Amino acid sequence: MNILLITEQREGKWNKTSFETLAAAQQLAAEQKGGLRAVVIGKGVLALAEELAASKIDEVLLVEHELLEKYTPDGFSLALKQVIEQVKPDLVLLPHTYQVRDYAPKLAASLGKGMVADCIGYKTEGGKLLFVRQMFQGKTAADVSLQGAAPWFVSFQAGAFRADLVAKGSARAPVKPVTVELKPEQIRTKPLELFREAKQAVDLTQAPIIVAIGRGIKASENIPMAEKLAKLLGGEIAASRPICDEGWLPMERQIGSSGQTVAPKLYLALGISGAIQHVVGMKGSRTIVAINKDQNAPIFEVADFGIVADIFEIIPALTEELEKAK
Amino acid sequence: MTIQREQLEADVLIVGAGPAGLACALYLARLIKQHNQTGGKPVLSAENIYVLEKGREVGAHQLSGAVMDPRGLAELIPDFEKSAPPGTLDTPVTDDAAYFFTERRAWKFPITPPPLRNHGNYVVSLNKLVKWLGGLVEQEGINLFTQFAGAQLIYEGEGIAGVITEDKGLDKDGKAKDNFTPGYELRAKVTVLAEGPRGSLTKDLVSRRKLDNLNPQVYGMGIKELWEVPAGRIDPGFTAHTLGWPLDTSMYGGGWVYGLRENRVSLGMVVSLEYHNSLFDPHEAFQKYKTHPFVKQILEGGKLVRYGAKTVPYGGWYSMPRTYVDGGLIIGDSASFLNSQRLKGIHMAIKSGMLAAETIFEALCSGDVSAKALSAFPKKVEASWIKKELWEVRNFHQGYAHGLYAGLFHTALQFVSGGRGLIDPMRTKPGYEAYQRIDGRAAPERFKGDGTLTFDRLTDVYHSGTRHEEDQPCHLVVADTSICADRCVREYGNPCQYFCPAAVYEMVKEKGELRLKINASNCVHCKTCDIADPYQIINWVPPEGGGGPNYEGM
Repeated sequence: MNILLITEQREGKWNKTSFETLAAAQQLAAEQKGGLRAVVIGKGVLALAEELAASKIDEVLLVEHELLEKYTPDGFSLALKQVIEQVKPDLVLLPHTYQVRDYAPKLAASLGKGMVADCIGYKTEGGKLLFVRQMFQGKTAADVSLQGAAPWFVSFQAGAFRADLVAKGSARAPVKPVTVELKPEQIRTKPLELFREAKQAVDLTQAPIIVAIGRGIKASENIPMAEKLAKLLGGEIAASRPICDEGWLPMERQIGSSGQTVAPKLYLALGISGAIQHVVGMKGSRTIVAINKDQNAPIFEVADFGIVADIFEIIPALTEELEKAK
Repeated sequence: MTIQREQLEADVLIVGAGPAGLACALYLARLIKQHNQTGGKPVLSAENIYVLEKGREVGAHQLSGAVMDPRGLAELIPDFEKSAPPGTLDTPVTDDAAYFFTERRAWKFPITPPPLRNHGNYVVSLNKLVKWLGGLVEQEGINLFTQFAGAQLIYEGEGIAGVITEDKGLDKDGKAKDNFTPGYELRAKVTVLAEGPRGSLTKDLVSRRKLDNLNPQVYGMGIKELWEVPAGRIDPGFTAHTLGWPLDTSMYGGGWVYGLRENRVSLGMVVSLEYHNSLFDPHEAFQKYKTHPFVKQILEGGKLVRYGAKTVPYGGWYSMPRTYVDGGLIIGDSASFLNSQRLKGIHMAIKSGMLAAETIFEALCSGDVSAKALSAFPKKVEASWIKKELWEVRNFHQGYAHGLYAGLFHTALQFVSGGRGLIDPMRTKPGYEAYQRIDGRAAPERFKGDGTLTFDRLTDVYHSGTRHEEDQPCHLVVADTSICADRCVREYGNPCQYFCPAAVYEMVKEKGELRLKINASNCVHCKTCDIADPYQIINWVPPEGGGGPNYEGM
C-alpha cells in the first residue's frame, strides 16, 4: 500500500499536526509494507521540504506554483489532484486541520472518492485496515473500512498521534519537484489579508468595577447612558440575562448562573431585580450598590448600599457629578 | 443547504431513557442473551440496541412524586429489594392518610380511600431508580447515548424507520457555529417511542398517522419540591394525599406530602390541565399550599433542595393511542400507561417496556417488523395486569369534568360497577378547550413569595438546576406570535404566563407594543405549554442535547 502524506504550512511555518500525521503515516507504511511520500505545497517552501527530508520517508514531493502562495481551495485541490494522478497512491493521509476540512472533501470528490475524516486511529482486523472515528461526541467509535478502488482519503484528528514519534531517516530522502498546471482563472476566490478575529477581550472577572444593568433599563437606546457611567467610573458594563438575551449586549457580558461569575471591588446594579440566577454570579463582590424602583426587589438583600429610586434619575445625576469631579 | 448526515443502523432504537425505555432495553437484552445461549437463530446482539436520552445524564429529566407500586420492577428485577443501590428505594410506605383541606383546616378521611392506600409500596426517587436502571442497561452492552434527543422521525411508508437526532451547534438564528455537528440519521428495524408525557415525536406520529383513540390525551401538571426539614417533623414512609384548598372544587387536582429518609420531604401538587380560569397559576397555588398549617408545620425551618415540574397523562385506557405502526411502538407515559386514580405509572411504564421487548424480540427472530407483527404488543397488554388495572378506572378521570363533587359521585358508581359507572365510555375533550374567556378580568398580581417558605418562579427554576446553551434556536416554536398580542391577550389573558411553572413565557410591553418574550433557557421540559396553550400554536421541540433540568435526587 503506497501512502501519500499531504503536509500543511502557512507562510513558511509548519502546521504541527503535519508531523503527527507523518508519525501515523510512517507506522502505517511500516505495517503495510508500502512506500511513503510526502507533499509540501505552497511557494518558496523548499526549506520546509528539505527539513521534512530528514525524516524516514521515501521521497518528498515539492509542489510549488505562483498561484499556491496563498491558500485557496481551488488552487490546492487542483494542484493536489494532479499530484495524486501522477503518483497514484493507495492511501492519502492528511492532518484534520481547518484548511483540510475546507479543501480535502472537494479534492476527494474531484477524483470521485469519499473521505474518512477526523479519525483518531487505525487498526487491522483480519488483514483489513480499519480507521476509527468518534461518533456521538466521543461516546462511541465507529470502525470504518475502505471500499472501492484507491486512492482512499483519510484525515487524522489533532492529537491522535504523537509528533515526537516521527522517525528520522538513515539517509536524507530525495526532494523531487512536481510540476502542476494552474491558471489564474481556475481560482475563483481571492484571499485577502490574514487576520485574527479581534477578540473583544473583555475579561469581566478582572474588572475592578462593574456597572450592571437589568430589565430596568427598559430599552436598548438607554444602554449608552449606562456605558458612559461605566466609562467614567473606569469600569466595565455588564448585564443580567434578559438584556443579553435580547441581544442588547453580547453574551460575554452576562453575569449569573448562565454567564460569568465576578467579584469586583464595586458592583453597581442598575435596575436589576436580583433573581437568584443573577445573584450567584455577583454576590462575592466587595461592595454592592443597588438602584431599583421596587423596594422589595431581592437585590437589596445582598446590597451593601441600596437606593430605592428610578435609575433614569440617578444615572444622569451620578454621571454629572463624576464629570464635575474629573 | 442540504445537510449530509452520518447514518447508523441499529436493530432497535429507543427514544427516552426513562423507566419504560430502559425496562424495554434491559429486558430485550436479556431475551437476546438467552436466545443466543440456546443457539437461537438468527444470532442477535444487545449492541444493536440504541437508547437516546436528551438529559445531561441518565435520570436528569426524571421527575415523579413518587410512590411506586413495585409490581413492574419486581417482574423486571425480582431481587430488586436486595440489588438496588442504597437510597434508590428511599423507604417503604409505613403509613398513609388522605385529607380534605380548607384554608385553615385539614379534615382527615376516616378511612384512606383504597386507591390512596400504599402499604407494600415504596417512596422512591425516580431519578435514582432510573440512574440505576441506566447502569444495568449499559452493563448489557447496549449503546446508551445521553445528551442526544430524537428531533425528527424518519417516516417510511405507513410507519417509521428511525429518527434524526438534533443538530448541535446552531446559533440563535439557526446558523452553524464553529462546533456545528449535524444530527445523526439513526435507522432501526424497530423504533420505540418512550419519551414520557407529550413526547414531541409521539405527538407528531399520532397526529400524522391518526393514531388517537376515542378520547384525546388529557394531562395533569405536577409541581414538586424536595425539602430538608428539622428532625422529627414527619416519619419516613408516611404518605399524605390532600384534596381541596387552594384548588376550588371545579378543579381536579390535589397535593402530596411524603416523608423520606434523612429528614427529607417530597411535596407537590398535581392539577389537571383542563381548568376554566385561564389566569390560574399552578405554581402560585402550590406555593400557597405550603402555607397551609398542615404543610407549614412540617416545612418550617427547613430548606428547599430541589424543584421540578412535569406533566402526567391522565386520560387512561380510552386515551391510549394506537401503540404500533410499521417499525414502531409507543410505550410508557407516551402511550398513556398510567393509572390516574392511583396517580401511578412507573409500574406500568416498566411493564409496558417489558411487553414491548417481548414483541420486538419475536419480530427480530421472525424478521417481520410490520405493524401486523408489532400488533402483538397491544395484545400482550390486553392479556396482562395493565389492562385489568386500567380497565377498572377507564372512566375515572372523565368523571371529574364537572368538578370534584360530581367526580366523587361518578367514582363511587364506577367503583361498584367495575369501572363502568353511568356512562361507558365517557368521553372527554382536550383540556385547553375548557378555558373560559376572561371578559375583561384584570391580570392577577404576580406571586412573589416570602423567600423562605414560598418562592417566586425564578427562584424555584434555579433549584431545578436547569441549564441550556444560550445561543441556540428557540426550542419553543410558536407558529404565530401575532395571536399572542392581538387575540390571546383579549380572549384568555395570555395563560402561558401563568401555566408555565418555569417563567419561560412573558408578555413584555415595549414602546407601547405588547410582545411575547420566550425565556427558553428556563424551560424544565414539562411540556405544559404544548398541552395547555389555548390556540395550540406552541410546539415544544427538543433543544440541544444535554440542556434541561437536573433532577438529582428527585
